[in-house]
Order: sequence, then structure tokens, then C-alpha cells
Amino acid sequence: MGSAILQQTGKRVLLMGNEAIARGAIEAGMQLMAAYPGTPSSEICEALISAAPESDYYVEWSTNEKISFEVAAGASLVGARSMAAMKNAGLNVAMDTFMTLPYGGVKGGMLIVVADDPDAHYSSTEQDTRFAAMYAEIPCLEPMDQQEAKEMAKAAFDISEDLELPVFLRSVSRISHASGDVELGPVNKTRNKIAFNKHYKVPYRWNVYGAPGALFKHKWLHNVLPKAKEAANKSEFNILNKTAGAKVGIIASGLAASYTKEAMARLGLEDKVSFLKLGFIYPLPDEKVTELLQGVDTVLIIEEGDPVVETMVRSLAKETAPGVKICGKSYNQILDPYGEINTDLVTKAIAKALNIEQPKEELEDLRTELKARVTPRSSTLCAGCSHLGTYSALREALKKFPGNHIINGDIGCYEQGGYGLFSSNVEGNSEDGKKYPVRSPYEILDTIYVMGSGIGMAHGQAQAGYKEGKVVAVAGDSTFIHATLPAVVNSVYSKADITFLVLDNSWTCMTGHQPNPVTGVNSLGEENKPFDIAGVSRAMGVEFVETVSAYDREKAAAAIENALNHEGPSIVILTGECQLQVQRRIKKTKTQTYVDVDTCNGCRICIQLGCSAVAFDLENKKAGIDELNCVDCGLCAQVCPQKAIKIGGRD
Amino acid sequence: MNTNIIVAGVGGQGSILASHIIAEAAIKAGSQKQQETNVRVGETFGAAMRGGAVSSHVRIGKVYGPLIGTGQADLVLAIEPLEGLRVGVKYLKKGGLAILNSEPLYPVDVKTGAAKYPSMDEISEIFAKLGARLITLNADKLALEAGHPKTISVVMLGAAFASGLLPFGEESIIEAITERVPQKTLEANLKAFRLGKEAFLNA
Repeated sequence: MGSAILQQTGKRVLLMGNEAIARGAIEAGMQLMAAYPGTPSSEICEALISAAPESDYYVEWSTNEKISFEVAAGASLVGARSMAAMKNAGLNVAMDTFMTLPYGGVKGGMLIVVADDPDAHYSSTEQDTRFAAMYAEIPCLEPMDQQEAKEMAKAAFDISEDLELPVFLRSVSRISHASGDVELGPVNKTRNKIAFNKHYKVPYRWNVYGAPGALFKHKWLHNVLPKAKEAANKSEFNILNKTAGAKVGIIASGLAASYTKEAMARLGLEDKVSFLKLGFIYPLPDEKVTELLQGVDTVLIIEEGDPVVETMVRSLAKETAPGVKICGKSYNQILDPYGEINTDLVTKAIAKALNIEQPKEELEDLRTELKARVTPRSSTLCAGCSHLGTYSALREALKKFPGNHIINGDIGCYEQGGYGLFSSNVEGNSEDGKKYPVRSPYEILDTIYVMGSGIGMAHGQAQAGYKEGKVVAVAGDSTFIHATLPAVVNSVYSKADITFLVLDNSWTCMTGHQPNPVTGVNSLGEENKPFDIAGVSRAMGVEFVETVSAYDREKAAAAIENALNHEGPSIVILTGECQLQVQRRIKKTKTQTYVDVDTCNGCRICIQLGCSAVAFDLENKKAGIDELNCVDCGLCAQVCPQKAIKIGGRD
Repeated sequence: MNTNIIVAGVGGQGSILASHIIAEAAIKAGSQKQQETNVRVGETFGAAMRGGAVSSHVRIGKVYGPLIGTGQADLVLAIEPLEGLRVGVKYLKKGGLAILNSEPLYPVDVKTGAAKYPSMDEISEIFAKLGARLITLNADKLALEAGHPKTISVVMLGAAFASGLLPFGEESIIEAITERVPQKTLEANLKAFRLGKEAFLNA
């Protein structure tokens, strides 16, 4: 099968939400796409990269979301239909340009896709980015399923060109990372002309500061918004089904509309209530909402995330239908304003609001009781991951320094160094909790926030005068480029006494092994010169820079120890390609690593390495190697004080 | 009539592929019959890291959302027994069917001695309490017999098909398998499907 998103028009196929969005862009005649990987948004760009050889658009992995947004914006200014896609947190990175672009508007249709993550399955926060669309005052679309995700991605370019504003498509994990049947539409073969008009309709159109200035341009934006509201009122994505005589109205937006349709069927309410399904949610289609509000006593608002639609509806109802009781996530609460929703929760919420008796699921209590008997499966670093070597060496090096050290984490596979695995007994606020002995690589990170935040925070800790221990930050290769470069310069400039470990495994792994400038290939897989982390660090003025293999524990520990002894900012680059990528390339032969059970004394120091291929037999009190997963990296043999783990010569 | 199936396993075992094959087969069958059948697959996967619990909700019929409700799954198809138990306890309906590959992949919590893996007897007892029908087979062994260790998930598909719970004919699923698996392993996969089917019927 060729690229899934290039299949024939009219065919009904199974597409992931992200693929559906990519197909929608292709159907619209999109000319440029840029993105930085971020779960659950990455497959939009991946699908477009895989279809690129058979298509005529430009596509790239940019070095961060702000740059990807600017790349798409620049393309739009010269007339191209362009798009940028990112995860919720990615929008925070792009925010500066994102907030300013709407003042001048756009020329070529521009789509910005942001994949939110209710329940924070893959993210630091559950932030609802629909607020950002309102904040920037640009149209916001929210699909109910994969088919609508495709239609919206396609329509966004027309809406954008019509209004001369970028259009915001808000997806969520359960749209982007779910699949559904999608009927493919025709592909637009025409392409916008690439040209630049300095004063297109408005003087100094693309220069917010240019006379008559930013205020004038903000006013221009506000003159466009009524037209956007009209588009929302007429939009095919907003569907009102009014039931004659119904006293209850339900409004559901995006994916919540899918759950609500199922919940209404379960409760037998389909022909008994009026239902407004919203997809074009900002500006709020005030005429359609008012039409629903008039004639009902009660309105329930169901949405995924914060009470965004609810707040807008409440504000409108105050003017057009003040007597209507509104239930949602703020007042008359029927759903929590955190966590994701689903059909079960929406069914309960509607039943509660309408006082419908709902029988309990037959086995509910039994299920709760049995759940406690299901063994957990903690997520861990992969067997033989180079980060295991780094964390092992870091712990070894830190033993040379007394004190309460602070290790600042960052975003990437290595963030698992803060997930905890054996640390469930550590209590917060107790002296023990503050100074617990680090027993595994899964409890080494003390802070984790967002991309690139670790080194900036380390700088602050050091400059505040923290002297009770060493201050360390870690970040991966892609994160180093994405968001730490200005922070490194800052630490050099202000001479912060911190140690920064760059964990270079050659790929952007956690989001699915996308290439980055360190990899040595570009977005399309063509070879190029790898980015030189050590050279750039020295050029930024860091005096102590050392590169060492994460698989050579003794050398890595020594390098980190020297860096910790160095006064001022120091960088150690720990290298070791992602083992999943290595194992895909090589044909694995029989595992060579084994435990000599006569020498093993059961001390379990190898277990503290945290490798998922090192096992412990509780009955015999001996370590063992999981042959299926072991990659013969040799780290466990290096940590064994008895030299009981051997490589080679296995029978 | 809606069909709700959960395919469960450990990252890297092919549970997502198996769920996509079921969904694709349902679309093919629906297109032939010219009837409106929605298909949804709700997936839980994120990090590329190996070894995590993965489950895929496959829904066929008059369905809209990607998730199966508590106690609404007709079939749990588990490539790993503990993962079958995990989703079964929450989602399998009373009188539903669980098909389990009998070969465990121990979580790191078990390997380090921090947790215990339930015995097959315990697993059977729990499914019995749920009023579910349980079929186990050694899919790892059958995959090797088929000629490729990575065909485990297709062995399980064969068993699922033999259960009669999949709402489409054999030609639809064979077509979907043919489209979705690497062409050089096609023969092994088709054999795996057949062996899974036979194993279910003989169980």
C-alpha cells in the first residue's frame, strides 16, 4: 500500500485523525507545511512527509513550534496555502508570533492545527487551547470525528482566505490518535500564485508597526470578526436539530458531540430534546445558539476541556434568554472541569441534570474489587537505553559530593527519570522525602516542566545561592536545539555554577523517532551534516565541554565528576544512539549477556540500573537476563560489583 | 447491532495493527453491502518506548465516539494475558468472550520482585467471576509454526474470526490482512490466521 493519505477519491478508508487532517490539507491544495514533533500531533507532518515524494508541496520538521509557525506564516504572506501543526504545549512556544499575526492577517489560506490532550495522557498539562484562538481572535474549528477533521482541515483554507485570518483547528488526543472511516474527497489541483504585495488592501499590511500602526490593525481585525461570526452561523459544521415542544436543549462541541449522541441514544432522548452540534465554535454562532435557547427551560453544555463554549453561551444567554438554566462545568456542574470525558460520563451527566434514574452497570462493584488484583505495568526506559548509562554514571559521580543535589529534568524519553518506580513509599515533606537515597534511574529527576525549562531553572537555583548541593540539568539532543540555546548563553553570560548534561541519542525518540539536525539526515531522509553540539556549546562560551559514551560508565562518571568540580557552566554530552533505532538496523543474533549464577550474590545492584532486560528471581535470589529484550549493551556487567554478569561465551 | 472489541497487548506486539485490520475489514464489508456502518478505533499509544500496556478499542455499527463504555465489550482479544485481564475487568460485558494468548510478558515490576504476576488459574477465576467465556491459546508457538514470530497478532485475529463475533466474512479480513502486513511476510501471516482459527475451534 502506498501512502494512506493519497488513496483514490471516493474511497472509504480507515484513517487516523492526524492522517485525516493531512488528507484534508492535500484536498485543499496545501503548498507548505511545517511542524515540530509533539504527541498527539506528530502524525500529521509524518503523513505529509510520507506522501511528499508523490506530491508538490514543501514539508519540514522545524527546530521548534515557534519557527514552524513562522515558516507557515511567511509562506502565507507570499500567497501559499500553508499549515503548521503542534501539540498543546507547542502552541505556548509559538505564542508570540501566534498572537501578533492576526493583526495583519494572512494572504494564502493558513491553517494552524493544535492537538490538545485532555487527561494529560502525553502532556504536562490539560490546557484548553480554544482559549488561545479566542485570545488571538481567530476562527476556531473543533471536529467530532475523523471524517469531520478532514472536512474541517480542507474548509479551513477557504475560510482563511475569505476572512484573511489564520484558522485554528483544535483536535484532541481521541481525535488525532483515534481512527475512523473516512470518505476521501477530490483533490484541488490549482495552486495559489507565489507573490508579495507590500500594501495588500491595508497599508504596510505585513508590518504591524508600519503606519497607521498596530491599533489600526487591531481595529481591522475587529471589523473582520462580524464576518467570521456570520460564517459560523452559516457553517455546515454547526447543526441544530430542534424538537417541537422540547424543554431541554443540549449543546455539544467537537468530540463531545460524538459522546453526547451516544449518551442520548442510551437514555432514549433522541427525539425528546433539541440538540445543537457545534464544530465552528469561535466566534460563537450566536443566531443558532439563540434559536436553541429560545423555547427551552434548561440547556446542558457538553465539551472536552474547559468550559469554553459554556462561558460564551452563558454570556449570550444573559442577553437573549436570561431565564434559561444552564448546566455544564462551571455553575450547575454536571461534569468535572478536568480530565477527559467519555460516553459513560456524559450519560451520567445528562441523567443527573434531567433527574433520569440510571441503573448502575451490573458488575460495577465487582469490577472495582477485581481491578485491585491486576498487576501494574510501569512504563520504563527501553532495554539497553543509553539514558540508563547516563543516569547510572550521574548517580556514581554525585556520590563524590556530599549534599542534597538538584537534578532538573526536561522533556523527552529521559523524563522517565522522574516517573518513579520503586519510590512509592517516599512521603512528601518528610525529611526522608527530601533526602531519599536514589535507588533507581526512575527517581533521579527533581523537576520536570516543559521543553527546555530544566537549564533555566538550574540557573535560577544557582544564582539564588543554593549551596546545599550540586545543581544539574539534563536535556536531549532535540530539546537542546529546540529550547535550551538561549539558556546556555544566559548561563555563560551570568556565570552560573551549573552542570548541563546533553543526552544525545541522535533522534527525537519519544514522539516516534523523527530526525533532527543532530541525526545527520533532513526531514525527507536526505543526508546532511550533523549539528555539532560540542562545537556550538564551545562557541557559545562554555569553557568545560566534554563528549563521552553513555555506555562507558567509568569514563562517563569521571567526565560528570570533572564537570561538577568545574566552577561556572559546564556541559557533558553523553552519546549513545537510541537502541530501538539500532535494533531496527542490525539483525540481532543470540543474546550474549548472561548471569553467572555461582558468582551472583543477589545484591540487586544490577536491578538499580533500571534496565527492563535485567530480572531478579526472588526464590533463588539471583539476577537474570531477559534474552528477548537484552541488546548486549554491557551496562549491567559494568555495574555488577561481583563481576557476575558476563558477555560472550554463553552456551 | 453494534460490535465492540478490545485488542490488548504490550507495546511492540502488534495490537494496533490487529485492531486496524479488523476495522479495515469492517469498512470493506460495509462498502460492499452499501449499508452505513461507522467504524472507530480508539488507541492508547504515545511514547515510542517499549513495554507499556497498549489497548485498542474497535467499534463497528451505529457508533460515533472512539471508546467502549464500561462493561460493553463483546470480545477481548489479548496478545498478552495480563493485559487481557486489565481490560477485561473493566470493559468485558457479562457473557462476553475473552481470547487470551497464554504467553506472558512480565512487567518490570514483576521482574524486579516488586509485584506478582497472576497465575493462569487466578486469571481464569477472575473471568469466571465476570461471567465471561475464556479461550486461551499459545499464539507465540503458532506464530513460529506459521514461519514468523511477529505474526502473533494475526494468529489472534484468526481465533477472533473463528469465534463468529466479527461482523464480516473471511474474504474481507483476508483482504485487509493482505493490505496491511509487509508483503514478504504475507504467506506466514495467512498461515498464522489459519492456525489461529483452527486453534480456537479446537480449544
